Amino acid sequence: METKQLIATDKFCTFYNVKYSFVESLLEIGLIEAVTVSEQQFIHIEHLQKIERIIRLHDELDINLEGIEAIHTLLDRIEHMSSELNSLKNRLRFYEQF
Amino acid sequence: MPFVDYYQVLGLDKTASEKDIKNAYRKMARKYHPDLNPDDKAAEKKFQELNEANEVLSDPEKRKKYDQYGKDWQHGEEYEKARQSRGRAQSGGNPWSSGDDGGGFSDFFESMFGSSSGFGGGRQTRFKGQDYQAQVHLNLRDAYETHKQTLNVNGKNIRITIPAGIENGQTIKVTGHGGKGTNGGPDGDLFITFTVANDEKFKRSGNDIHLKEDVDLYTAVLGGDLVIETLNGKVKLPVKPETQNGTVVRLKGKGFPVYKKEGTFGDLYVTFNVKIPTNLTEKQKELFTELSKS
Repeated sequence: METKQLIATDKFCTFYNVKYSFVESLLEIGLIEAVTVSEQQFIHIEHLQKIERIIRLHDELDINLEGIEAIHTLLDRIEHMSSELNSLKNRLRFYEQF
Repeated sequence: MPFVDYYQVLGLDKTASEKDIKNAYRKMARKYHPDLNPDDKAAEKKFQELNEANEVLSDPEKRKKYDQYGKDWQHGEEYEKARQSRGRAQSGGNPWSSGDDGGGFSDFFESMFGSSSGFGGGRQTRFKGQDYQAQVHLNLRDAYETHKQTLNVNGKNIRITIPAGIENGQTIKVTGHGGKGTNGGPDGDLFITFTVANDEKFKRSGNDIHLKEDVDLYTAVLGGDLVIETLNGKVKLPVKPETQNGTVVRLKGKGFPVYKKEGTFGDLYVTFNVKIPTNLTEKQKELFTELSKS
Protein backbone atom coordinates (compact mmCIF):
# COMPACT_ATOMS: atom_id res chain seq x y z
CA MET A 1 0.00 0.00 0.00
CA GLU A 2 2.76 2.39 1.04
CA THR A 3 4.78 1.93 -2.18
CA LYS A 4 1.80 3.17 -4.22
CA GLN A 5 2.44 6.57 -2.68
CA LEU A 6 6.02 6.69 -3.94
CA ILE A 7 7.70 7.38 -7.26
CA ALA A 8 11.22 6.14 -8.00
CA THR A 9 13.66 9.07 -8.30
CA ASP A 10 15.04 7.85 -11.65
CA LYS A 11 11.52 7.56 -13.09
CA PHE A 12 10.76 11.01 -11.77
CA CYS A 13 13.84 12.44 -13.51
CA THR A 14 12.86 10.83 -16.83
CA PHE A 15 9.28 11.96 -16.61
CA TYR A 16 10.06 15.54 -15.68
CA ASN A 17 13.13 15.77 -17.90
CA VAL A 18 15.43 16.83 -15.05
CA LYS A 19 18.93 15.69 -14.19
CA TYR A 20 19.47 13.53 -11.12
CA SER A 21 22.00 16.08 -9.87
CA PHE A 22 19.16 18.61 -9.67
CA VAL A 23 17.10 16.29 -7.46
CA GLU A 24 20.21 15.58 -5.43
CA SER A 25 20.70 19.32 -4.80
CA LEU A 26 17.07 19.62 -3.69
CA LEU A 27 17.59 16.75 -1.26
CA GLU A 28 20.85 18.23 -0.03
CA ILE A 29 19.37 21.56 0.96
CA GLY A 30 16.29 19.88 2.38
CA LEU A 31 13.75 21.29 -0.07
CA ILE A 32 12.43 17.78 -0.65
CA GLU A 33 12.70 14.46 1.13
CA ALA A 34 13.27 10.98 -0.24
CA VAL A 35 12.93 7.52 1.21
CA THR A 36 14.96 4.44 0.41
CA VAL A 37 13.18 1.12 -0.03
CA SER A 38 15.18 -1.98 -1.01
CA GLU A 39 18.17 0.22 -1.88
CA GLN A 40 16.10 2.27 -4.31
CA GLN A 41 15.37 5.94 -3.74
CA PHE A 42 11.79 7.19 -3.91
CA ILE A 43 9.96 10.49 -3.64
CA HIS A 44 6.57 10.80 -1.97
CA ILE A 45 3.83 11.49 -4.51
CA GLU A 46 2.36 14.10 -2.19
CA HIS A 47 5.56 16.13 -2.66
CA LEU A 48 5.18 16.20 -6.46
CA GLN A 49 3.23 19.44 -6.53
CA LYS A 50 5.98 21.17 -4.58
CA ILE A 51 8.71 19.73 -6.80
CA GLU A 52 6.83 20.74 -9.96
CA ARG A 53 6.70 24.27 -8.61
CA ILE A 54 10.45 24.17 -7.88
CA ILE A 55 11.16 23.01 -11.44
CA ARG A 56 8.99 25.75 -12.92
CA LEU A 57 10.60 28.47 -10.80
CA HIS A 58 14.06 27.16 -11.68
CA ASP A 59 13.43 26.72 -15.41
CA GLU A 60 11.13 29.59 -16.18
CA LEU A 61 12.51 32.28 -13.91
CA ASP A 62 16.10 31.17 -13.62
CA ILE A 63 15.94 31.30 -9.83
CA ASN A 64 18.68 29.47 -7.97
CA LEU A 65 17.90 26.93 -5.26
CA GLU A 66 18.59 29.34 -2.40
CA GLY A 67 16.07 31.75 -3.94
CA ILE A 68 13.55 28.96 -4.37
CA GLU A 69 14.01 27.96 -0.74
CA ALA A 70 13.28 31.54 0.34
CA ILE A 71 10.22 31.68 -1.96
CA HIS A 72 8.92 28.43 -0.53
CA THR A 73 9.28 29.65 3.02
CA LEU A 74 7.32 32.78 2.13
CA LEU A 75 4.67 30.90 0.14
CA ASP A 76 4.20 28.49 3.05
CA ARG A 77 3.80 31.47 5.33
CA ILE A 78 1.22 33.02 2.98
CA GLU A 79 -0.66 29.73 2.87
CA HIS A 80 -0.64 29.50 6.66
CA MET A 81 -1.81 33.11 7.00
CA SER A 82 -4.50 32.58 4.40
CA SER A 83 -5.81 29.56 6.27
CA GLU A 84 -5.68 31.50 9.54
CA LEU A 85 -7.54 34.39 7.91
CA ASN A 86 -10.24 32.00 6.71
CA SER A 87 -10.58 30.54 10.17
CA LEU A 88 -10.85 34.03 11.71
CA LYS A 89 -13.45 35.05 9.10
CA ASN A 90 -15.51 32.01 10.05
CA ARG A 91 -15.27 32.92 13.73
CA LEU A 92 -16.28 36.50 12.96
CA ARG A 93 -19.21 35.19 10.92
CA PHE A 94 -20.34 33.25 13.97
CA TYR A 95 -20.43 36.37 16.17
CA GLU A 96 -22.10 38.45 13.46
CA GLN A 97 -24.89 35.91 13.06
CA PHE A 98 -25.53 34.80 16.63
CA MET B 1 -8.73 40.30 -34.05
CA PRO B 2 -6.73 43.14 -32.46
CA PHE B 3 -3.02 43.68 -33.00
CA VAL B 4 -0.89 42.83 -29.96
CA ASP B 5 2.06 45.14 -29.28
CA TYR B 6 4.61 42.73 -27.82
CA TYR B 7 7.11 45.54 -27.19
CA GLN B 8 4.55 47.34 -25.09
CA VAL B 9 3.75 44.13 -23.19
CA LEU B 10 7.40 43.91 -22.13
CA GLY B 11 7.73 47.68 -21.66
CA LEU B 12 10.34 48.01 -24.43
CA ASP B 13 10.79 49.96 -27.63
CA LYS B 14 11.53 48.50 -31.05
CA THR B 15 15.26 49.05 -30.73
CA ALA B 16 15.53 46.74 -27.71
CA SER B 17 18.47 44.32 -27.82
CA GLU B 18 18.20 40.59 -27.14
CA LYS B 19 19.62 41.25 -23.68
CA ASP B 20 17.03 43.97 -23.02
CA ILE B 21 14.25 41.55 -24.00
CA LYS B 22 15.61 38.78 -21.82
CA ASN B 23 16.01 41.11 -18.85
CA ALA B 24 12.57 42.67 -19.26
CA TYR B 25 10.95 39.25 -19.57
CA ARG B 26 12.75 37.86 -16.51
CA LYS B 27 11.91 40.90 -14.44
CA MET B 28 8.21 40.89 -15.30
CA ALA B 29 7.87 37.09 -15.25
CA ARG B 30 9.17 37.08 -11.68
CA LYS B 31 6.51 39.59 -10.78
CA TYR B 32 3.58 37.81 -12.46
CA HIS B 33 4.55 34.12 -12.35
CA PRO B 34 1.46 32.08 -11.30
CA ASP B 35 3.45 30.14 -8.71
CA LEU B 36 4.27 33.42 -6.97
CA ASN B 37 0.71 34.72 -7.29
CA PRO B 38 -1.55 31.84 -6.30
CA ASP B 39 -5.25 32.29 -7.16
CA ASP B 40 -4.58 35.56 -9.00
CA LYS B 41 -6.28 35.33 -12.40
CA ALA B 42 -5.02 38.76 -13.48
CA ALA B 43 -1.39 37.75 -12.82
CA GLU B 44 -1.94 34.47 -14.67
CA LYS B 45 -3.23 36.32 -17.73
CA LYS B 46 -0.39 38.83 -17.58
CA PHE B 47 2.13 35.98 -17.39
CA GLN B 48 0.51 34.41 -20.45
CA GLU B 49 0.91 37.70 -22.33
CA LEU B 50 4.55 37.99 -21.23
CA ASN B 51 5.31 34.46 -22.39
CA GLU B 52 3.81 35.15 -25.77
CA ALA B 53 5.70 38.42 -26.17
CA ASN B 54 8.94 36.70 -25.16
CA GLU B 55 8.24 33.78 -27.50
CA VAL B 56 8.09 36.17 -30.43
CA LEU B 57 10.69 38.78 -29.55
CA SER B 58 13.37 36.39 -28.28
CA ASP B 59 13.27 34.38 -31.50
CA PRO B 60 15.10 36.37 -34.24
CA GLU B 61 13.01 34.87 -37.06
CA LYS B 62 9.68 35.48 -35.37
CA ARG B 63 10.76 38.95 -34.32
CA LYS B 64 11.76 39.82 -37.88
CA LYS B 65 8.42 38.65 -39.23
CA TYR B 66 6.56 40.45 -36.47
CA ASP B 67 8.50 43.70 -37.04
CA GLN B 68 7.91 43.46 -40.77
CA TYR B 69 4.26 42.54 -40.85
CA GLY B 70 3.04 42.72 -37.27
CA LYS B 71 1.14 45.98 -37.33
CA ASP B 72 -0.04 45.54 -40.91
CA TRP B 73 -0.75 41.87 -40.52
CA GLN B 74 -4.06 42.24 -42.33
CA HIS B 75 -2.45 43.77 -45.42
CA GLY B 76 0.99 42.22 -45.73
CA GLU B 77 1.04 40.17 -48.92
CA GLU B 78 3.43 37.54 -47.63
CA TYR B 79 1.61 37.28 -44.36
CA GLU B 80 -1.69 36.96 -46.18
CA LYS B 81 -0.36 34.03 -48.23
CA ALA B 82 0.91 32.31 -45.13
CA ARG B 83 -2.39 32.90 -43.41
CA GLN B 84 -4.35 31.47 -46.30
CA SER B 85 -2.12 28.42 -46.53
CA ARG B 86 -2.93 27.63 -42.93
CA GLY B 87 -6.60 28.20 -43.69
CA ARG B 88 -7.36 29.51 -40.26
CA ALA B 89 -10.52 31.47 -39.65
CA GLN B 90 -10.22 34.84 -37.97
CA SER B 91 -12.23 35.71 -34.94
CA GLY B 92 -12.90 38.92 -33.04
CA GLY B 93 -13.04 39.88 -29.39
CA ASN B 94 -10.37 39.29 -26.78
CA PRO B 95 -6.99 38.77 -28.44
CA TRP B 96 -6.04 36.07 -25.93
CA SER B 97 -7.63 32.65 -26.00
CA SER B 98 -9.17 31.34 -22.80
CA GLY B 99 -6.12 29.21 -22.21
CA ASP B 100 -8.24 26.14 -21.57
CA ASP B 101 -6.73 24.38 -24.55
CA GLY B 102 -3.37 24.46 -22.79
CA GLY B 103 -1.76 26.65 -25.45
CA GLY B 104 -2.78 30.03 -24.18
CA PHE B 105 -1.71 32.00 -27.27
CA SER B 106 -3.64 35.00 -28.51
CA ASP B 107 -5.63 34.74 -31.74
CA PHE B 108 -3.16 37.27 -33.19
CA PHE B 109 -0.20 35.01 -32.38
CA GLU B 110 -1.85 31.88 -33.72
CA SER B 111 -2.91 33.63 -36.89
CA MET B 112 0.61 34.90 -37.51
CA PHE B 113 2.78 32.03 -36.30
CA GLY B 114 0.41 29.08 -36.11
CA SER B 115 -0.57 27.22 -33.00
CA SER B 116 2.10 24.56 -33.18
CA SER B 117 4.82 26.69 -31.63
CA GLY B 118 5.51 25.99 -28.00
CA PHE B 119 6.88 28.18 -25.28
CA GLY B 120 10.53 27.70 -24.56
CA GLY B 121 11.97 27.73 -28.09
CA GLY B 122 11.17 24.12 -28.97
CA ARG B 123 12.39 22.55 -25.72
CA GLN B 124 10.56 19.34 -25.00
CA THR B 125 10.02 20.17 -21.34
CA ARG B 126 6.92 18.54 -19.96
CA PHE B 127 4.49 21.04 -18.58
CA LYS B 128 1.80 20.26 -16.14
CA GLY B 129 -1.68 21.18 -17.38
CA GLN B 130 -3.51 24.24 -16.16
CA ASP B 131 -5.07 24.02 -12.71
CA TYR B 132 -8.81 24.68 -12.64
CA GLN B 133 -10.69 26.44 -9.86
CA ALA B 134 -14.31 25.73 -8.97
CA GLN B 135 -16.71 26.82 -6.25
CA VAL B 136 -19.31 24.65 -4.59
CA HIS B 137 -22.04 26.04 -2.35
CA LEU B 138 -23.35 23.87 0.46
CA ASN B 139 -25.77 24.42 3.28
CA LEU B 140 -24.79 23.49 6.83
CA ARG B 141 -26.78 20.27 6.75
CA ASP B 142 -25.02 19.17 3.52
CA ALA B 143 -21.67 19.75 5.19
CA TYR B 144 -22.76 17.65 8.19
CA GLU B 145 -22.69 14.37 6.26
CA THR B 146 -20.22 12.82 3.85
CA HIS B 147 -21.92 12.79 0.48
CA LYS B 148 -21.22 12.52 -3.22
CA GLN B 149 -21.86 15.29 -5.67
CA THR B 150 -21.48 15.53 -9.44
CA LEU B 151 -19.87 18.71 -10.75
CA ASN B 152 -19.66 19.92 -14.30
CA VAL B 153 -16.22 21.38 -14.90
CA ASN B 154 -15.51 22.65 -18.42
CA GLY B 155 -18.12 20.31 -19.89
CA LYS B 156 -16.92 17.21 -18.02
CA ASN B 157 -18.89 15.58 -15.23
CA ILE B 158 -16.79 14.81 -12.18
CA ARG B 159 -18.21 12.90 -9.23
CA ILE B 160 -16.57 13.84 -5.97
CA THR B 161 -16.98 12.78 -2.37
CA ILE B 162 -17.36 15.69 0.02
CA PRO B 163 -16.20 14.62 3.49
CA ALA B 164 -18.37 15.59 6.44
CA GLY B 165 -17.08 18.57 8.39
CA ILE B 166 -15.82 20.60 5.44
CA GLU B 167 -15.21 24.22 6.50
CA ASN B 168 -16.52 27.37 4.89
CA GLY B 169 -13.75 28.62 2.57
CA GLN B 170 -11.87 25.31 2.59
CA THR B 171 -10.30 24.18 -0.67
CA ILE B 172 -9.76 20.58 -1.70
CA LYS B 173 -7.65 19.33 -4.59
CA VAL B 174 -8.89 16.76 -7.09
CA THR B 175 -5.71 15.53 -8.72
CA GLY B 176 -5.55 15.25 -12.50
CA HIS B 177 -8.89 16.88 -13.26
CA GLY B 178 -7.43 20.15 -14.55
CA GLY B 179 -6.22 20.98 -18.06
CA LYS B 180 -4.27 18.53 -20.20
CA GLY B 181 -0.50 18.48 -19.75
CA THR B 182 1.76 19.32 -22.67
CA ASN B 183 4.54 17.18 -24.13
CA GLY B 184 3.35 14.27 -21.99
CA GLY B 185 3.35 16.32 -18.79
CA PRO B 186 0.80 15.50 -16.11
CA ASP B 187 -2.70 16.92 -16.23
CA GLY B 188 -3.45 19.87 -14.00
CA ASP B 189 -5.52 19.64 -10.83
CA LEU B 190 -8.97 20.83 -9.94
CA PHE B 191 -9.21 23.01 -6.82
CA ILE B 192 -12.68 23.19 -5.31
CA THR B 193 -13.44 25.88 -2.75
CA PHE B 194 -16.50 25.29 -0.59
CA THR B 195 -18.86 27.96 0.64
CA VAL B 196 -20.94 26.71 3.55
CA ALA B 197 -23.99 28.88 4.17
CA ASN B 198 -25.11 29.78 7.67
CA ASP B 199 -28.15 28.06 9.12
CA GLU B 200 -31.05 29.90 10.73
CA LYS B 201 -31.02 27.70 13.81
CA PHE B 202 -27.58 26.13 14.13
CA LYS B 203 -24.47 28.29 14.29
CA ARG B 204 -21.15 26.65 13.66
CA SER B 205 -17.89 27.58 15.31
CA GLY B 206 -15.21 25.20 14.08
CA ASN B 207 -16.44 21.77 15.10
CA ASP B 208 -18.89 23.07 17.68
CA ILE B 209 -22.51 23.96 17.15
CA HIS B 210 -24.37 26.64 19.08
CA LEU B 211 -28.11 27.00 19.31
CA LYS B 212 -30.62 28.98 21.36
CA GLU B 213 -33.51 27.11 22.89
CA ASP B 214 -36.60 28.62 24.46
CA VAL B 215 -37.52 27.35 27.93
CA ASP B 216 -40.79 28.26 29.58
CA LEU B 217 -40.55 30.00 32.93
CA TYR B 218 -42.02 27.12 34.91
CA THR B 219 -39.54 24.55 33.56
CA ALA B 220 -36.70 27.00 34.19
CA VAL B 221 -37.81 27.53 37.79
CA LEU B 222 -38.91 24.02 38.71
CA GLY B 223 -36.72 21.97 36.36
CA GLY B 224 -37.81 19.39 33.80
CA ASP B 225 -36.94 17.89 30.46
CA LEU B 226 -36.65 19.57 27.11
CA VAL B 227 -36.61 17.77 23.76
CA ILE B 228 -34.34 19.63 21.38
CA GLU B 229 -33.63 19.11 17.72
CA THR B 230 -29.97 18.61 16.79
CA LEU B 231 -28.42 18.06 13.36
CA ASN B 232 -28.44 14.36 14.23
CA GLY B 233 -32.01 13.97 15.45
CA LYS B 234 -33.85 14.78 18.66
CA VAL B 235 -32.21 14.74 22.09
CA LYS B 236 -33.77 14.89 25.58
CA LEU B 237 -32.09 17.57 27.62
CA PRO B 238 -32.69 17.86 31.39
CA VAL B 239 -33.19 21.39 32.68
CA LYS B 240 -32.04 21.92 36.25
CA PRO B 241 -34.37 23.70 38.67
CA GLU B 242 -33.69 27.47 38.97
CA THR B 243 -32.03 27.69 35.57
CA GLN B 244 -31.13 31.30 34.77
CA ASN B 245 -31.80 32.99 31.45
CA GLY B 246 -28.69 32.72 29.21
CA THR B 247 -27.41 29.55 30.90
CA VAL B 248 -25.29 27.53 28.50
CA VAL B 249 -25.10 23.74 28.64
CA ARG B 250 -22.71 21.60 26.67
CA LEU B 251 -23.67 18.33 25.02
CA LYS B 252 -20.40 16.55 24.41
CA GLY B 253 -20.00 14.94 20.98
CA LYS B 254 -23.28 16.32 19.63
CA GLY B 255 -21.67 19.02 17.50
CA PHE B 256 -20.25 19.01 13.98
CA PRO B 257 -18.25 16.09 12.58
CA VAL B 258 -14.50 16.65 12.58
CA TYR B 259 -13.17 16.77 9.00
CA LYS B 260 -11.75 13.42 7.92
CA LYS B 261 -11.94 11.99 11.45
CA GLU B 262 -14.83 9.63 11.15
CA GLY B 263 -16.87 9.19 14.32
CA THR B 264 -15.36 12.28 15.99
CA PHE B 265 -17.63 15.20 16.69
CA GLY B 266 -17.40 18.61 18.28
CA ASP B 267 -19.78 19.69 21.03
CA LEU B 268 -23.23 21.21 20.99
CA TYR B 269 -23.77 24.31 23.15
CA VAL B 270 -27.36 25.13 24.05
CA THR B 271 -28.16 28.58 25.40
CA PHE B 272 -31.42 28.71 27.35
CA ASN B 273 -33.71 31.57 26.54
CA VAL B 274 -36.23 31.75 29.38
CA LYS B 275 -39.57 32.95 28.07
CA ILE B 276 -41.62 35.10 30.42
CA PRO B 277 -45.32 34.27 30.13
CA THR B 278 -47.52 36.90 28.53
CA ASN B 279 -51.28 37.56 28.55
CA LEU B 280 -51.54 36.52 32.21
CA THR B 281 -54.97 35.86 33.66
CA GLU B 282 -56.06 37.70 36.80
CA LYS B 283 -55.53 34.54 38.79
CA GLN B 284 -51.96 34.16 37.48
CA LYS B 285 -51.21 37.79 38.26
CA GLU B 286 -52.44 37.23 41.81
CA LEU B 287 -50.21 34.19 42.18
CA PHE B 288 -47.17 36.09 40.93
CA THR B 289 -47.95 38.94 43.29
CA GLU B 290 -48.18 36.47 46.13
CA LEU B 291 -44.86 34.95 45.09
CA SER B 292 -43.21 38.33 45.00
CA LYS B 293 -44.18 38.93 48.63
CA SER B 294 -42.83 35.60 49.87
